[in-house]
Amino acid sequence: MATDSTQIKSVIKFFRWFCNPDYAEDIEGDLMERFEKNKTISGDFRANMKLTTDVFRLFRPGIIRPLKGTQKLNSIDMLKHNILITFRNFRRYKGNFLINLIGLSTGLASVLFIYLWVSDELATDSYHQNSENLYQIRTNHKNSTGIKTGRGVPGLLLDEIENDLPEIKMAIATTDVHEYTLSTEDDSYKANGRFASEEYFNLFSFSSLKGNLKTALSDKANIVISASLAKRIFNSTDVIGKSLDWHFWNNSKSVIVSAVMNDIPSNSSEKFDFVMSWDYYHDDMITFKGWGNYYGRIMVQLHPDADVSATNEKIDQILIDKQGSDTVDTFLAKYGDQYLYNKYTNGVQAGGRIEYVWLFSIVAFFILGIACINFINLSTAKASHKTKEIGVKKTMGASRLALMGQYFTESVLLGFISLLVATALVWLLLPYFNIVTDKQITFQLDGLFILVAISIIFAVGILAGLYPALYLSGLKITESLKSGVLKGSGRAVGRKALVVFQFSISIILIVATWLIQEQMEFVQQKNLGYDRENVIYFEREGTLLEKSEEFLAELKSIPTIETASTSGFMIGGANSTGGIEWTGKGDDERIEFWETRLGANAIETLNIEMVAGRSFSNEFATESESIIFNEAAIKAMGISDPIGKTVKHYSGSKQIVGVVKDFNMLSLHTEIQPSFFLYRPDFTHFVMIKLQKGAEIATLRQIETVYESFNPDFPFKPKFLDQDYQALYASENKIADLSGYFSILAILISCLGLFGLSTFTIEKRQKEIGIRKVLGSGVLNIVYLLSRDFTAMVLIAIVIALPVSYYLGRSWLENFAYNITLGWSFFFLAGFGALVISWLTVGLQTINAALANPVDSLKDE
Amino acid sequence: MGKYQLGEFEEVVMLTVAILYGEAYGFAIIEEMEKRLNRKVSIGSLQTVLRRLEKKGLLESEFGEATKVRGGKRKRFFTVTSVGKKMLEEAKEQRLGLWNAIPNIALND
Repeated sequence: MATDSTQIKSVIKFFRWFCNPDYAEDIEGDLMERFEKNKTISGDFRANMKLTTDVFRLFRPGIIRPLKGTQKLNSIDMLKHNILITFRNFRRYKGNFLINLIGLSTGLASVLFIYLWVSDELATDSYHQNSENLYQIRTNHKNSTGIKTGRGVPGLLLDEIENDLPEIKMAIATTDVHEYTLSTEDDSYKANGRFASEEYFNLFSFSSLKGNLKTALSDKANIVISASLAKRIFNSTDVIGKSLDWHFWNNSKSVIVSAVMNDIPSNSSEKFDFVMSWDYYHDDMITFKGWGNYYGRIMVQLHPDADVSATNEKIDQILIDKQGSDTVDTFLAKYGDQYLYNKYTNGVQAGGRIEYVWLFSIVAFFILGIACINFINLSTAKASHKTKEIGVKKTMGASRLALMGQYFTESVLLGFISLLVATALVWLLLPYFNIVTDKQITFQLDGLFILVAISIIFAVGILAGLYPALYLSGLKITESLKSGVLKGSGRAVGRKALVVFQFSISIILIVATWLIQEQMEFVQQKNLGYDRENVIYFEREGTLLEKSEEFLAELKSIPTIETASTSGFMIGGANSTGGIEWTGKGDDERIEFWETRLGANAIETLNIEMVAGRSFSNEFATESESIIFNEAAIKAMGISDPIGKTVKHYSGSKQIVGVVKDFNMLSLHTEIQPSFFLYRPDFTHFVMIKLQKGAEIATLRQIETVYESFNPDFPFKPKFLDQDYQALYASENKIADLSGYFSILAILISCLGLFGLSTFTIEKRQKEIGIRKVLGSGVLNIVYLLSRDFTAMVLIAIVIALPVSYYLGRSWLENFAYNITLGWSFFFLAGFGALVISWLTVGLQTINAALANPVDSLKDE
Repeated sequence: MGKYQLGEFEEVVMLTVAILYGEAYGFAIIEEMEKRLNRKVSIGSLQTVLRRLEKKGLLESEFGEATKVRGGKRKRFFTVTSVGKKMLEEAKEQRLGLWNAIPNIALND
């Protein structure tokens, strides 16, 4: 019986729980009446069963209590109430609200910017359909000085791998992008282009505007041009079949437009406006097709199930067989990864741009953290304003969860408003951001962005709201209702720790930015062993190929030209070779030299210092058999007393006529490398001119006039050598700019928080200050009293931040072979700077408070 | 807004409420329906219909006195409103109209 009655009880309990309270009474009566009747007819068990089924059959819409019932209504009401209270709080503490809003929205804006930047970086080159299985064959050159990683492979490799390796689905050869001249009958244009084999457009997913890209490179005389180039040259994109002339140095070729492609997407690491046939390049332009000549860039698409390292071993074996030695190893680098993972040290992948992607993601996180800390600190500091409210609410029966709900509502709502402001900021500032980062990021409100935005709001809400919610909701009723100072809120160790954290991060960012900027300055000022200021160069094309001597003679009549010469010197290096033999060379010894062809006077134009022997001169008939090394090369070869000795170059034996002081034509990421000059005025690509300082523009105009009289068919497009040099550091310069902006933001947001905190503290200590003044305390004394705490916090932050930034700075500087020394002045100044900034932040208020008339603060109680 | 049409079960429930004039509360209605129509009626389905009809204004209800039986729970007595009565009459007339329209021959087998 007992079990029966418990069953009935629980069934009825269930019924009461779900039933619409308006109906509950009479239906329950019916249930009981029926139950009693059933009991007399068919016994307890049956009656029980019937009751149970009846109750379950009552569990249906129409009977079940509607959702607006008390419980649910309550939580919606609570939400409404919370939002209302939140808005009232915003309005009441406008200062706090503004500090939080400004801090969070700028913080969020930088997070959004970094998100856009990072996702753009990650998306680079990933739009190719075959991206999963797309690899570039790269080479590691083993030297006596270490392993050098290159992009080039022998062009002959293409045929070998295409036929012999089943793992390879498709393979293409291409060249680096270079600026060439294209001409029509009327005019000529400079444009970036490359050569690529027939299947190039099958391997890469570039889209066609006119014509079929897949077959567009089938003929040597075909050219594919981009839509914008078509518009530039022909003013139309309907240009299939039109002819163009392509020129490079002493080559030219008539080509016919076979297809027009859409412009290369902005998230492509290589941008070019035309593609010509690899077959033409390989058959007609490369005169020296050897297995030691690394002029090709080969990309392969592997079959999805192919083993990458096994495939690479086969490729490497081909190279070993063909070269007869194993000085060069191949490896397969994923094509889409190469943009971000572009750095190799000693043949091993060593990061690259991906480090900056990580770095900025972390910076974004910290900036957001700093902004959240402001919210945390200000709301816990203001807790004393809220103690009564919390006490009353708790007395009325508010649960801890409900109270936490209120603070979470506040922080999430603030996060939401800040995100709106941040989105507007991003939208407004994106064009400038694109200029700084040299990107074409567009801002789209797509699903992913909304997802990111919502998760950011909740992350901020929880990050910022968690501590205040726990802290405030945990206050004891009796304590919070008793008037008096709240325990712990005055000292607030946690709050101070957070301020210390904020300032540590800010100081680290300041030091980092400063360091980057100093290093970039150093790099740009550094004497590289050649003069790059006011040196211009342009390509020798058209008539300049034959008449370069006459052209140079004509230029002599311009007085503001210091020197002019033909030259093959290129920043970043053009050709490198291992093809030098000298007496005393060991069998396995191999040195990779940079080879540069020069005309007479070129060494003078570049102002490279001679340490021994003489420079090139056109007065010697046999000058083409002369060679000039740099000191590093002489040292690497171990030749003593080099002048007059002969070495064997791959083109014949050469006599050493001079040695120049070391110069660095690469970036300062690398050490000075062995290199040599050959006298080959006819084989130089450029005319190089050193202009007199101060008259550059006028001189350029005069040069242009002379140029046009010689070479009317070609555009005059001179380049400055130091611009090329700066381009070597383009990514570092962008990073320097970006980190500058972000660290300024970080310190600003930190100071905002400090400002809010100090306002609050001063407000609370007004009476104390008044009494102290009445008792004879001086203004300075009070200023000291008020700023002591903040100073201590910033000092602790400095102590924490400096070792960390020293460590980080040193590891960044290791990227450069030549770098600034990390002096203590750096850290001292950065720390001192932070201190001064924090003083300025609290200073004005402190002084105001100290100067206030004590009567004002003491008159009423 | 179309005119509300009574369902079959709704009509039966309303008629039963009318039969039990003054005594029509949940359990009694079920007893009456089971007795007269020989069909099983669950409390759930009946109550849903009662509440629905009440909401539509075809029935109205009030609590009776509390008694010792039924665990002290009050009964809720339903009565047909004048609108409900009109609905029932209409339904009846429609049926009759249909019946009258059947030619004699159709149902003679």
